[in-house]
Amino acid sequence: MSEFYKERIYPLLFMFLITVVCIVLTAGAHILTFDRAKANELSFTRRAILDAAGLSYENTTLGIEEVYLASVTEEEGYYTAIVDGKTRYIIPLIGPGLWGTIEIMAGLEEDLTTFSGVAIVSQTETPGLGGRIEEPWFTAQFAGKRGPFTLVEEGTSSRTHEVDGITGASRTSEYFKNLTDRAASEARRIIRGV
Amino acid sequence: MAKSGLLKTFTEPLGKNNPVFVQILGICSTLAVTNKLQNTMVMVLGVTFATALSSWTVSLLRKRIPSRIRMMVETMIIAAYVILVDIILKAYYPEMWKQLGPYVGLIITNCIVMGRVEAFALTNKPLPSLVDGLASGLGYAYVLLIIAAVRELMGSGSLWGYRILGPWWTNWAIMVMPPGGFFILAIAIWVIRETVGKEVSHA
Repeated sequence: MSEFYKERIYPLLFMFLITVVCIVLTAGAHILTFDRAKANELSFTRRAILDAAGLSYENTTLGIEEVYLASVTEEEGYYTAIVDGKTRYIIPLIGPGLWGTIEIMAGLEEDLTTFSGVAIVSQTETPGLGGRIEEPWFTAQFAGKRGPFTLVEEGTSSRTHEVDGITGASRTSEYFKNLTDRAASEARRIIRGV
Repeated sequence: MAKSGLLKTFTEPLGKNNPVFVQILGICSTLAVTNKLQNTMVMVLGVTFATALSSWTVSLLRKRIPSRIRMMVETMIIAAYVILVDIILKAYYPEMWKQLGPYVGLIITNCIVMGRVEAFALTNKPLPSLVDGLASGLGYAYVLLIIAAVRELMGSGSLWGYRILGPWWTNWAIMVMPPGGFFILAIAIWVIRETVGKEVSHA
């Protein structure tokens, strides 16, 4: 009996106990920080909307919330923001990247063609290569331009339909371009229903 | 254990028993996360934390863990600590968590954590095990930070995200990609073994 207990029962009990302890600890930590993590996530989304709308804000949770609540209206499937007396439309777009999905907010002027800005909500491209789509200079170059875009060598874009690709990340640049090219037609479909 | 014993436990993983350039452990993450200093820093802090506390916990339980299921128990403990790191980052350092999301979970599979638990913590008291885990993490940390500094400087012309080299510098895309990790790691192991670690390779 004692041999049986030592060889069979005790390992089972031990594993069971240690599993319960680990689960209680991690689940507890998860529950304790759940609200905070949710708030962070919301803040990221809101910041992306503000960036896409071309609004400036103080980069803290409070700063983002203040500007967001003051100028952004949530509609069915998209957002609107009043900037300098004009309405801008911000639509969420999701598409494939090289490794995973890329989720962005695309801000468009009233004509639903000219970009007011682009901001990334989430992406999982290679850090240092495709991951550079998160760098401000890359997303900032879409403001004031209209698609469909042509990718040119990094640092050489000059015309309104040209954007710089990222050296060493042609595929990610291409995927990102495809995503932004969809913005105008998506916007017409979501907002005007055509 | 005597004081000098603890000190030895602490210094060995930093030098002649270094996990990366002597034991060649944890190479997968060395290649994956060393293209940016910031990512590397979070990774090494996470690994140091996980190694130190897992070693300590396993050592506390070492007389009670049935040896036939010890690896399951170890993995469970390591995973719990790593998930805690992930949860804390997500709640309190969201920017960092966003950049590193997938890497943090990978700490669980870092061979150094399991390696130190198996090789040291199972047969030593809690305090030396904690010191050993901590030192192994630090020994891993500084090698990775050196590699990351070289790769980021050559691959992006920057350090810690700040542009260091002027516009005359052409980024070496290969340094940012995995092959760059192989090259710099190999060179680092060679240089360190030929200089400071000379006695090790002949030991």
